[in-house]
Amino acid sequence: MSPYFGLLRALPFLFFLFFAVRVSSEHTSNWAVLVATSRFWFNYRHLANVLSLYRTVKRLGIPDSQIILMLPDDMACNPRNAFPGTVYSNADRAVDLYGDNIEVDYRGYEVTVENFIRLLTDRLDEDVPRSKRLGSDAGSNVLVYMTGHGGDQFLKFQDAEEIGAWDLADAFGQMWEKKRYHELLFMIDTCQANTMYTHFYSPNIIATGSSELDQSSYSHHADNDVGVAVIDRWTYYVLEFLENRVTSANSKQTLGDLFDSYDETKIHSNPGVRWDLFPGGEQEGRLRTVVDFFGNVQSVEVEKTDADESGSLKEDLVELARLVEKWRTISQDYAAAGNDSLQQDNERAPSSYEVKRRNLGPVKLAEETPWEKRLIGLSILGACAAIWFTGSALTGSMT
Amino acid sequence: MSANHEDSESSQTAMTSKPSASSLPPPEKPNAIQTRFGVVAAFWAVILFLGFPIWWKTTSIYRAELPIQEMLDWAGGKSCRPVFPLEIRFDTPSLPDLEAQQLLRITQHTLDDLNEFSAHHLRLKLADEEAQQATEKADTALTVRLLAQDDLSSPRSLLDADTTTLDVFYPPSQIPPPSSSISPLSSYIAGELQRLFAEEKAIMAHILSNNAMGANVNTPQSPNSQAQQQISPQLAESITRRLRRSMKYAETYHLAFSLFTPGSAPSSWDIESAVQAYISPLVQVLSPISNFTIDTQVQLYASFSPTTPPPEYDETQQVWTLKEENLSAFINAAEWPLNPSIGSGPTINFILYVPAPSQSPLLVNEGKATSWIIPQWGGVFILNPPSIPTSESTKGNPPHLPANALTPAFLTFSHQLLSLLGTPQTPTSLPLRLQTLIRIRAATLLLSASSTMGSLARLTESLPSIPIPATVASSVSATLSHLSSACDSLRQGRFMAALASARVAETEAERSFFEKSMVGQMYFPDEHKVAVYLPLLGPIGVPLVLGLVKEIRRVVVGWKARRG
Repeated sequence: MSPYFGLLRALPFLFFLFFAVRVSSEHTSNWAVLVATSRFWFNYRHLANVLSLYRTVKRLGIPDSQIILMLPDDMACNPRNAFPGTVYSNADRAVDLYGDNIEVDYRGYEVTVENFIRLLTDRLDEDVPRSKRLGSDAGSNVLVYMTGHGGDQFLKFQDAEEIGAWDLADAFGQMWEKKRYHELLFMIDTCQANTMYTHFYSPNIIATGSSELDQSSYSHHADNDVGVAVIDRWTYYVLEFLENRVTSANSKQTLGDLFDSYDETKIHSNPGVRWDLFPGGEQEGRLRTVVDFFGNVQSVEVEKTDADESGSLKEDLVELARLVEKWRTISQDYAAAGNDSLQQDNERAPSSYEVKRRNLGPVKLAEETPWEKRLIGLSILGACAAIWFTGSALTGSMT
Repeated sequence: MSANHEDSESSQTAMTSKPSASSLPPPEKPNAIQTRFGVVAAFWAVILFLGFPIWWKTTSIYRAELPIQEMLDWAGGKSCRPVFPLEIRFDTPSLPDLEAQQLLRITQHTLDDLNEFSAHHLRLKLADEEAQQATEKADTALTVRLLAQDDLSSPRSLLDADTTTLDVFYPPSQIPPPSSSISPLSSYIAGELQRLFAEEKAIMAHILSNNAMGANVNTPQSPNSQAQQQISPQLAESITRRLRRSMKYAETYHLAFSLFTPGSAPSSWDIESAVQAYISPLVQVLSPISNFTIDTQVQLYASFSPTTPPPEYDETQQVWTLKEENLSAFINAAEWPLNPSIGSGPTINFILYVPAPSQSPLLVNEGKATSWIIPQWGGVFILNPPSIPTSESTKGNPPHLPANALTPAFLTFSHQLLSLLGTPQTPTSLPLRLQTLIRIRAATLLLSASSTMGSLARLTESLPSIPIPATVASSVSATLSHLSSACDSLRQGRFMAALASARVAETEAERSFFEKSMVGQMYFPDEHKVAVYLPLLGPIGVPLVLGLVKEIRRVVVGWKARRG
C-alpha cells in the first residue's frame, strides 16, 4: 500500500518536472565568449582562429553586445604585419577578419585568467561596463571558444599564467548554480585540448576539443606573405563546416552533423566530444542545431493593431491614452493647488525616472582614516630601529 | 677572534696527532657546542614561533561563518510559504449592515469553494469594518461597490478602468435573505472576482511551480496539477511566452529612445514633450517596482545591414512591406549604436524608424502592423510621416517631427514597455494590472533571492578553497531578514511592503553571490604547490633540518653515554 501512496504523492511533483522540462527546452538569448590566450606575432593563428569564429557568430546573428571577445594581442597593428590593419585566416586573403566593425571587449594585458573567471562568474566591479560583462541568464545558450597553447589539463594565458581544468570546471559550476546558462557549448583548440573538459561537472554542457592527451594540435597552413601560420587545423575544418553548411540563421544543421564532419586524417589529431553532462546524453545533444549556439534567437512579436483579443495593443493604447489624460488633469490640479505643491511635484517626479545631473565634488574613496595606517607604519619603523640599535649595542658589548 | 683561537688550536692538535689520524678533527669545546646548539635552537624557534604562524596566517583563506542550513531552507521552500491573500473591500452604501455581512459571508464561501489554488486567495471585507482596524492594514486589491438598480433582472458589473473599483449593479430583489446559504447575486460576484484574477492566479501558479520553493510548498496541500487544470493550455502557453519575453528583473532599467532614419531628415523630434506626456506617467506608476532612467538619441543615415533582405513593394496596396520572418534582421546590430553602457542596469531599446521617402509607407506584411517587440530587448515602431515636397519635385521627410506625430509611436512604446516588464494582459483596468505586476514581482524576487541563497550555500560547501569575506556574511544576514519580512508582509497582504523588502533582499543576495573578492585561482594541484615551495624551502630547509638532526643525535648520544 505504502509504495503506491508514495507514488501518488510524487505524481504531482513528477508532473511539475515534466512541465518544467517542457518549458525549459527553449532558450531565450545567445551569448558567445571567444577567447584567444596567446601573445606575440608567431601566435597570429590563434587570434585569427578567434576572429573567424567572431565573424561567424556575428554572421549568424549574435549582436556585438552579446559577444565577449578577448584578444591578448593586436595582430592588425603589429609592426611585422605586411598588411597593416588586417587579419586573415586564409592564405587567399579573401576576407579581412578585422574589417571595420569589430568590438574587442578585453584586449592586451586585460586577458588574464582572473578576468576570464570573473567574466564567467560575473564577479566584477560595479563600474565595469556592460559590454565587458556576460549578461546571460537561465534562458541563455552560451558558446565558449578558447584557443591558445595548452597542455595536460591547463591552458596558458599570455605566457605568464595558466588556467587549470579544475578552475574552468568550477567557474562553469558556479555559472550553473547562479543560473547563468541554459545550455553551454564549450570548444577548445589547443594541444591536448580534450583534457581541459575532463573535470566539468555541471549539467547541460556539451564540450568538444581538438586533440587528445599527449597529442598536439597543428596549424593548417601558413601564408608566405604574412610569414606565419594563419589558422589551426581543427578550427579550420569547423569553420569550413560552418561556412559551407550553416549558411543562414535558419539552418537546420545539428551538432551531430558538425561533430561527424571531423576528419582525423585532415585534422591530424583526434578531436573529442563530451556528451555525458547533457540531459539525454549524446542522443539528445546531437539533435541541437548549430545555430542554437552560433546563432541568435530569432523571434519577434508583431503587434497587430486590428486584433481584438484582450490585452492587445489596441486595448492597451486606449488605456494608456486614458492614463495620460488623467496625468494631465492631475498635473493641472497640482498647478491649481499652488506653486508650493507644483514645486514639490517637480522635485519629486523627475527623480524617479531621471538620473539627477548634479555636479559632484571629489569624493573620498576610502572610509578609513589614514592615521591608523600611519601609526602602524610608524610603530613598525620604530621596532626595526630598536632591533637595529639593540643589535649594534650587543655586538658592541661583545667586541 | 674565537675562530682564530680555534684555528691555531686545531693546527696544534693536527701537528701533535699527525701520525695516527690526520683526518680526525679535534674535539669541540663545550662552549662551541653550546653556541651551535643555541644557533640551531634560535633558528628553529624563529621558524616555529614566527615563520610558521605567519605562513599559516597569510596562506589561510578567510571564510566567514554563513548560516548554511538556514540558507538551504529558504532555497528549499522550508522557511516560507508564499501566499497571496488579496483583500477585497465591499462598499455597500445602500445595504444595511446585517444584510451586507450576510452577502459577504455567502460570497466568501462561494469564492473559497471555487478556488483550488490555496496560495492565492481572495479575502472579502466590508468597507467600514476595515476602517476600524487601521493598524497592520493590508493593501486593498479591489473595491467592489454594490449599487442597487431597479430596472435590472440580473446583476451586471462594470470595471472602472482608471481605478481599482468594480461596480456591481444588482436588482434589489436579489439580496439574500438572512437565513439562506446561497444566492444568485453572491455567486455572480464570486464568479466575476474569480474571472478578474484568473490570469494572475495562473501566472502565480506558473511561477511557483517552476521553482523548488513553490513546488515544495504546494505539493502537500493543494496539488498544483489542480491549479494547472484550471488553466487552459492556451492561457498557459501565452503566459510562458510572456514570461520568456519579459526582461529579467533589475533594480534600474535604462530606457533608450532612438530615432533612426536612412536619410538626413527628420533630424529633430519633440522628444522631451513626448516623454513627458507618455512615458513619465507610466514610469511614475512603475516606480515602486524599479527605477528608470531615460536617454534619447537621433541617428541619421542609418542603413540596414547588407545581409538584411530589403523591403518589397506591394503593387496592389502601394506600400512597402517587410516580411515578418525578416524582422529579426531589421536591427543593424553591428552599426547602429544601440548598446550604450549606461550604469549597471539593462537597457530597454525603443526604436522609432522613419523610412526613406522612396520606401514610404513601410509596413509589416501581415496584419499591416507597424510595430513589433523583440523579446528581452525592446520594441520597434515604424513611423511613416507625411512626406513633403522638396525642391525638385522629389518627396522628402519633414525635418522635424512634432509631438502629435509622435503620439502613436509613444503610446505603442508605453505598451511595449508594459509588456517587456511582464505586466499581465487582463483585467482591463491598468491600475489593477499594475497591482498584479507588483505581486508578481514580489513573488519572483522572493523566489530568486531564496534560490540565490541556496546557490551560495552550496557553493560555499562545494568549493572549500574560495574565500568568504565578512561582507558576504552581512549581506546574507540582511537578505535573510528581508526575505522573512517580505514573507510576513505577503502573509498579511501588504504587497507593496513585501515588494520593497524583496527588492532589498534580491539586491543583497546578488551582492553576496557576486562579491568580487570571492574569486581567485582557487584550485592548485599538489604538484603546483610543490613547485612553488620547493625552490624556496629546499635550499633553506636542507641545512636547517640537517643541523637539527645532528643536534638531536648529539643530545641523544650524550644522554645515552651519561646513562651508560
